[in-house]
Amino acid sequence: MNLLSATSLKKTYKDYTAVRGVDFSLTSGKCIALIGPNGAGKTTILRILAGLLKPTEGKIRFSGQPANADLRKFIGYLPQYPVFPSWMTAKEFLIFSGELAYLSKKEAEERAEKLVEEVGIKDAWNKPIGGYSGGMKQRLGIAQAIIHSPKLLLLDEPVSSLDPIGRREVLTLLEKLKEEMTILFSTHILNDAEEVCDDLLLLHKGEIIEAGSILELRKKYQTSVIELEFQDNPEQYLEKLRALPSGTSSYLDRNTIKIPAADISKVRYEVLKAATEENWPLVEFHLNRASLEEMFMKAVKK
Amino acid sequence: MRQWKTLFKNEMVGHFRDRKWIWVPLVLILIAVMDPVMNYYLPQILDKVGGLPEGAVFQMPEFTGIDAIQMSISQLSSLGVLIIALISMGTIAGERKSGIAELILVKPVAYPAYILSKWAALLVLIIASYVLAMLFAWYYIGILYDTIPIGDFLVMTALYGLWLTLVLTVSIFYNTIFKSSGLVAFSTIATIILISVGSSLFGEKLSYSPSNISNHSFEFLHTGEISSSLIGSAVTTVIACLILLLLSIYIFRTKEHAG
Repeated sequence: MNLLSATSLKKTYKDYTAVRGVDFSLTSGKCIALIGPNGAGKTTILRILAGLLKPTEGKIRFSGQPANADLRKFIGYLPQYPVFPSWMTAKEFLIFSGELAYLSKKEAEERAEKLVEEVGIKDAWNKPIGGYSGGMKQRLGIAQAIIHSPKLLLLDEPVSSLDPIGRREVLTLLEKLKEEMTILFSTHILNDAEEVCDDLLLLHKGEIIEAGSILELRKKYQTSVIELEFQDNPEQYLEKLRALPSGTSSYLDRNTIKIPAADISKVRYEVLKAATEENWPLVEFHLNRASLEEMFMKAVKK
Repeated sequence: MRQWKTLFKNEMVGHFRDRKWIWVPLVLILIAVMDPVMNYYLPQILDKVGGLPEGAVFQMPEFTGIDAIQMSISQLSSLGVLIIALISMGTIAGERKSGIAELILVKPVAYPAYILSKWAALLVLIIASYVLAMLFAWYYIGILYDTIPIGDFLVMTALYGLWLTLVLTVSIFYNTIFKSSGLVAFSTIATIILISVGSSLFGEKLSYSPSNISNHSFEFLHTGEISSSLIGSAVTTVIACLILLLLSIYIFRTKEHAG
């Protein structure tokens, strides 16, 4: 079931177009990653969904709501660089946020107490936010975004600014939140997306170039790469590999020769045959499945 | 209404932790009391700093209590307006620029509640400080000059308070337009100067101008009668405030709240 669908969503500024008429829908209960390089329009899309920016054109329909309704009470949002009133404590800010989202004072207090524990800032929750580290602010940011138990949680680069430990903790937290709400988060780190998400939206220059579940996309872009490393200068072997019927697109990446292969068994046979016959000084023969990154690069080039 | 209360309470706590509730009253008291006291002690001060040259004749004017309160009001009209512009210049603009507004406005906050809470919290701070400052001025003027009847004095204080309310409302209005606090303060002060200069240039025709409230209320202190011009300028001020608040809400609705 679609929780939200956007049709021909467009955002233009005076001199440039940030989002060029994209269509997408978010399936209820899934975790969706919005992936794209810097400047692809990820933040703009999230801000439009959060109601902070008005789309130049296009419609957003949330399940059970009229088109382009004010969706703020169903949505939790964490900006890329959340800024808090530094004089408030985390507790005060969470209760304040909760009350603004129509929780009663008591509900907001209970929810705040539960959330600070969940995101791991309980020790400091009575201290002014001004003294918080970046990681703590990010956690507080997540807590304030889910204080009113939104149906859709929008996170703008939630882990990019965190250290490895903080990153791991936030990803684990997202894994848990997935059970309660639909999550859309943007990232340019593909591993993070791979780890927690079910679906992907690939964004490039303001357009969605690919959308679907990770499994589907993996299948679609599945071409594997065979990597070869040699004891001596690999360049001489590159020529020989290119002469093989299935190795014509071989290329050199630093000291490794890479051979993209549609039919693995055929390439493997030819390569290993040549290697044995001519006694190549092979150090490594490695079969590499296409990573999300390569998939993305391919989709971009298409 | 509940949202407004939440926001208002939060603003008040913010002003309190900012120490605004300490320094704003203190500064306004200083501004209101300074001139009457200085003028009273002027002969002694002149004497202390070396006196006048031999043979110079210096006639000190005789000030009444009403003259003295005019001095206070004239200081409040310049320095006081500056203080109001300074404390209000970033109340919305600053939050929008820093990104705090992004976190607040992404919650289902009604825009009128947001703007009116900002306005009301500053209004309470400014009016409370101003009334306190006027009471101090009244007390010293009573000791140093002659006592102004407290009833008349309070009516006058309330009426001039409307003018200060307008100053704040103009600032809130510019807060919804600009993101730069400096620009907000500049525009506020420029607008107030324009109104004041305009009203004094075309005094006859613009008798109902908000900035004439002070002149009309001095007349009231002299005569004890509330003139139609006084009522007129008070009503204009209230209407101007209402229109500005409505415009602020309207403009804020059309603005984007991120990026």
